[in-house]
Amino acid sequence: MKVKFFALLRDITGVKETTDFTGTILVELLEKLSIHYGKDLTRWLFAPTDPAQEKQLGGDVIILVNGRAIEHLAGLATPLKEEDEVAIFPRLAGG
Amino acid sequence: MYGWVGQILRVNLTNGTIKKEALDMVEAKNYLGARGLGTRFWIKECDLKMDPFSEANNMIFMTGPLTGTMATNAARYNVVCKAPLTGAMAASNSGGYWGPELKYAGYDGIIIEGKSEKPVYLCINDGEVELRCAEHLWGKDVNETTDTLREETDIDAKVACIGPAGENLVKFACIMNDYTRAAGRSGVGAVMGSKKLKAIVVKGSGAVKVADPDAFLTALTKARKMVKDHPVTGQGLPAYGTQILINILDQSGGLPVNNFRDSGTFPNADATSGETLAKTYLVRNKGCMGCGIGCGRIVNVPDGPFKSFGEGPEYEAGWSFGADCGIDDLAAIIKANNYCNELGMDPITLGSTIACAFELYDIGALKEGDVGRVLRWGDAEAMVELTRMTAFREGFGDDLAEGSYRFGSKYGHPELSMTCKKQEMAAYDPRSLQGMGLSYATNNRGGCHVRGYMTAPEILGLPEKLDNLVTDGKAQWTKIFQDLTASVDAAGICLFLTFAIGAPELSEQLMAATGVEYTVEEVMKVGERIWNMERLFNLTNGFTKDDDSLPPRLLKEPVKVGPCKGSVNKLDVMLPEYYEARGWDAEGRPTPEKLQELGLQ
Repeated sequence: MKVKFFALLRDITGVKETTDFTGTILVELLEKLSIHYGKDLTRWLFAPTDPAQEKQLGGDVIILVNGRAIEHLAGLATPLKEEDEVAIFPRLAGG
Repeated sequence: MYGWVGQILRVNLTNGTIKKEALDMVEAKNYLGARGLGTRFWIKECDLKMDPFSEANNMIFMTGPLTGTMATNAARYNVVCKAPLTGAMAASNSGGYWGPELKYAGYDGIIIEGKSEKPVYLCINDGEVELRCAEHLWGKDVNETTDTLREETDIDAKVACIGPAGENLVKFACIMNDYTRAAGRSGVGAVMGSKKLKAIVVKGSGAVKVADPDAFLTALTKARKMVKDHPVTGQGLPAYGTQILINILDQSGGLPVNNFRDSGTFPNADATSGETLAKTYLVRNKGCMGCGIGCGRIVNVPDGPFKSFGEGPEYEAGWSFGADCGIDDLAAIIKANNYCNELGMDPITLGSTIACAFELYDIGALKEGDVGRVLRWGDAEAMVELTRMTAFREGFGDDLAEGSYRFGSKYGHPELSMTCKKQEMAAYDPRSLQGMGLSYATNNRGGCHVRGYMTAPEILGLPEKLDNLVTDGKAQWTKIFQDLTASVDAAGICLFLTFAIGAPELSEQLMAATGVEYTVEEVMKVGERIWNMERLFNLTNGFTKDDDSLPPRLLKEPVKVGPCKGSVNKLDVMLPEYYEARGWDAEGRPTPEKLQELGLQ
């Protein structure tokens, strides 16, 4: 599966996209990305919680799976397939 | 007098008279300033049904009560007149330094009446005001004009002027201030050109008093911290500018491509993105007076066919000259945008009009003999050259200078003009953003993204995420966005603040600055009053429910590819809900009860 990074997250990861990581649901994928790219990415992906608690999505990240915002899918439990594209943005705006 | 400085300048270009008048404080309290108060003054004084190029079309340059204060991002003014592009009310909004300087000179606004026989400019130095000959400036571009006027008046003076496009009555000509900031939409620069008014030069040495300095300092400090701490206004916009939106709109399927014909995804969108701009041509960022964001881009293309130096592009220009024309050459986009700044044109309308030309040529409605060259999607060199030609109405540029609706109509295809009320929409496809479609359709000044930015909730999740493909709740949300935006515009602050702050913070700053009880409810009520006032102007001018619409393509032709594949805009579902939310009748007319409630009866 393809993961794309945008804006400040490109500077953190050093890449525009990667196909090195997979997951059956979104949170699995994000945990692998978090481990690989470290705390600078982790604090965008996940809200600060007790390690024993369930992961919660960060408040300032936008994640699309095949172009749909995960708020309109199943959030962190969104199922993933090998051919899926996941796009990750920091909260951004313009106009 | 607090917030407002209490004085209006009235200048008659026909007979050369200049008067200073006290600001009508009853109207000021009801309509705040800028877009609201300027429109109110215009409607009270002018014949609503006039030709926009007639002598009787007053131009009102108006600031807001926060303009020029220490409130965060309080640098805005509006230019109000009847718009040549649309026939609707134009209230074009600009930042920079000019608006604050006008208040420091002692004026909340300027009412320009009549027409001059010969080119003139207005020179304001505090209480000294005079009309001067501008024949030596006629034909000069914005940079040359601004440089010359600063040299011959005061090097610290602020200049608002038109370029050749305004002189040539290009229907979407801008008024440019501080070189690169624009009162950009609807053709206010053409009205200024029709009056032979080349520029207004302002130098002020005063200040703006506030009612409660301690409370004001507390309120603005809170607002500034919220702006600084927010990831959008504190990080994203300073680093990448508004062009940051290219990729998320593309990834979400909302980026219009090839005159909205091939929307869904633009294969090389990233080449034109804010991220790419930051790594290639960006020199530094830039803000307006008192700005806590700095979204402006100073850019340099050092060599090649599109060598240029200037400011921008904003997202909308990046799209109109880019994906909408099938172009992924960022240097060409920058060159065209710089032409727009230097020659004084609105890049949204122009890029969209060129995209319309590309499509007309593609379907055979436009021939090489009409254009003087072959046109193909993605032809960057043609796009840049047509941009230059349009400002001078040179050859085929004379057709483009009319905007896409009149241009498309001339060649038999008005339906390929991507406009609402004859003004071109911005960079969000209404089939992929249902609420943004409703916002375009109901916008009092036609296709425009900054009067109800439904992209914020539908794509960006601000203040919360709404599903872009559903219609539920969009009518109520659109009304709230439209009303709040009207108050923000009228107060004289930057709309981008609303990514970080809301009505409560605006209320706190307004109350402390003016001493008037602008509660959150009153802030929203002022916005609603402004919106309904503009609506009444349109209804009087013959606009009807039928004008609250979108180009047929967006209602009938589904998106072909991408995450929004198969979608059309469901305006027929949302429009009745919107009228109901507004307290209007089924024909879109404000009811007597609504007018009574707003004091507009």
